[in-house]
Amino acid sequence: MEEKIYNNTNLFLKFTATELLIPFDKISLNNEFRGLPTWSSLNALVYISRINEETNVLISSIELADLITLNDIYNLISFKSNGAI
Amino acid sequence: MALSRTSGINIDGIVSLVPANINDNLLLTHLSQPDREALIYHTGIRFRRVVKEENVSIKNFFIKGIENLLSNLKWEKESIDILICVTQTPHVSLPAISCQLQGDLGFSSHTMCYDINLGCSGFVYGLHTLSALLNSLNKLNARAILCCGDISTQLIQENDHTTKPIFSDAASVIGVSNNSETMSYFNLETNGSGQKAIYKEDNFMKLNGIDVFNYSLTMVPNNILNLLAFADKNIDLPKMYILHQANKLINEAIRKKLLLDETKTPSTLYDYGNTSSASIPLTLCKNWISESPNWVLFSGFGVGFSVASALIYLNKTIHLSIIET
Repeated sequence: MEEKIYNNTNLFLKFTATELLIPFDKISLNNEFRGLPTWSSLNALVYISRINEETNVLISSIELADLITLNDIYNLISFKSNGAI
Repeated sequence: MALSRTSGINIDGIVSLVPANINDNLLLTHLSQPDREALIYHTGIRFRRVVKEENVSIKNFFIKGIENLLSNLKWEKESIDILICVTQTPHVSLPAISCQLQGDLGFSSHTMCYDINLGCSGFVYGLHTLSALLNSLNKLNARAILCCGDISTQLIQENDHTTKPIFSDAASVIGVSNNSETMSYFNLETNGSGQKAIYKEDNFMKLNGIDVFNYSLTMVPNNILNLLAFADKNIDLPKMYILHQANKLINEAIRKKLLLDETKTPSTLYDYGNTSSASIPLTLCKNWISESPNWVLFSGFGVGFSVASALIYLNKTIHLSIIET
C-alpha cells in the first residue's frame, strides 16, 4: 500500500509541520493543535485545504470543533479516506 | 438538480463599477507584516474597493451603470422590456430597487421589474431568469438589463478580521437581448444545510471559512461537470471558466479538482477581492479577449448555500468596461 499522510503518522507529522511552519522536532501527535504557535483561523483553513488536496478528505467546522490533538485529526482523515466520508 | 436550457440569448454589454477608494491588505493594522503577506498569499487578495461615504447605496452604482450601458449600446430606455436587480444590500428593503430605478430613470411602464435576493451565485441566477423571461416574450429583439452587486463592506464590523480582508464593493450592469441563434445552458442548485456558512446576524455578516470551503468543494466541481454533460459539451470547449472570486484557496481548489489550466480561470482577486454577485461580470470585463465568438462557463457559489453555473456563447462584439466611481 502506498504510504500517504492518512496511513503513516510520520508522513502526517512532516506534512503538518510543513503546513503550519513548525520545526518537525517540535511537534508530536499528542500536541493540541489549537495551542500551536502558528494556529489561526487562516492557517486552519489553509491546513484543511491542503489535507483535502492530499487526501480528498474534507473536514467540516463541526468535526474540527470536536477534535483536540493532531492525533485526532490523523484518525479522522484515516477514517474518512477509507471511504467513510 | 435544476438543469435548464434557453435559446437566442446574447450578452451585448457589461459595465462594471467599483469605488475609487482602495484599501490595502498590506496595511492591515491588526496583523504583523509576515501575517499580512501570508494573508495576501493565501487569499490572493491585496486591494479592496470600499465605499467611503455612508450615504452611497448600491442603487447609486446601478444608476450610473445603466446610464453608461444604455449610452454605449445605443439602447433607448423605451426598448427595455425587463429590469432585474440582484443584491443583498438594498438601502431600503421595499420597494424593490428595480421598481425605484424604473421610476427614477424613466423606463417604460411596460417594463417588467423585480429584485432577486442572492449573493455570490446571483449573477448566474439573474442571467438564467432573464434568459427564461426573454424566451417567454413573444417578441423579436427583446432587451433586458440585469443589475447585480453589493456594498458588502457595510455589513462588516471594523474588528471582524475574518471577513474584512476579503470583501470589496462593486456592481455590474449587464445588457442582454434575444437576437442570437445559440443555446445557453444552466445548472442551478441549492443546499440550505449550509445556510450558516455565510449569514447576517445583528446587522453584520458572519462567515465560517472552513464551511464555505467545504460546501464550495463539494458542490461546485460537480455542478460544472453535470452542466457540461447536460449540454453535451467537452470540458475543453469553454475558452474561459469564470468562477466567482471567493478567495484563492477556494478558487484554486476548484480549478485543480477540474484539472483546468490556470490560463482558463482568470482572477481579479488581487485587485478587487470578493465582490459578491459582481465578481463574475467584473472578471469578464477585466479578462475577456477573443478574436472570435466563443463559449464561456460562469460559476457562482456562496451564501445560501447556493450554486449556479452557466455555459454561454459570447459574441466578440460585446461591450465591456470598468468604471471607477
